[in-house]
Amino acid sequence: MNTPAAEVKPVVVSKQAEQVINGVVTQVVCTAFTNHILVLVTQYGKMGTLVSVTPNMVTGDLAKPTLTTKVLLGCDEPIIHVCAKNLVSFVSQESKNKPVLLALALKDKNVDSIKTVKEVIKSCQVW
Amino acid sequence: METAEPSPHPVSIHNFSDKICERLVHFHVMSLQDCFLLWVGCSARLCNLAVSMCSRYDSMPLSSLILGDKSDTTSSSFAQRLAKKTKKQVFASINIPTDDSQLMLLIEKRIKEEMESFPEKF
Repeated sequence: MNTPAAEVKPVVVSKQAEQVINGVVTQVVCTAFTNHILVLVTQYGKMGTLVSVTPNMVTGDLAKPTLTTKVLLGCDEPIIHVCAKNLVSFVSQESKNKPVLLALALKDKNVDSIKTVKEVIKSCQVW
Repeated sequence: METAEPSPHPVSIHNFSDKICERLVHFHVMSLQDCFLLWVGCSARLCNLAVSMCSRYDSMPLSSLILGDKSDTTSSSFAQRLAKKTKKQVFASINIPTDDSQLMLLIEKRIKEEMESFPEKF
């Protein structure tokens, strides 16, 4: 017999939020996998640029690990790396150094807006 | 004066699970504007990610693996078939032992059923 789908709890947990930031509708979705956290931040309704943010775990446990950002898909410009590190460094740190996959489609890369986006990501904590 | 911009398509999340070939297989769909992400797995691991989209120069959509083992073409060919079917940009992550081709066929069939039942979720 088939297990009714409704009875099975989803294995991947996700939380989402929508907020108008500096006049722009911003949608955030965080999804927890056992080996990755997926964070989507979009102001276009699309996936946008995909960035992997990976902690470097070779330096031992004393200091916070440094993070490597790599653009997997989309325009590889310096500002993307800055935004990515700013937005999801804390996600990796708080999730016991899991790598984060960030899908970023921002119209507005203002410092204050980025700060607000970070708060929205915090409100979607799945780690 | 700034004109009011139309709100982007809200992101919808859709989870379902099914027992296929004695295995409990989980599906997770995140649908955006003209694009969606489909994750399939028996446990909550994300080991690869492929992207595919239609091209005006070729009848077969372009497909590329952006995360994971490049020698495993399951996700990219899956994404390619879904892109061809839906005409959308598709991100696919298939985290299933690929030695079982029967299981893969049934998974694909299950996804197509779900797409027919809930087209708005994709």
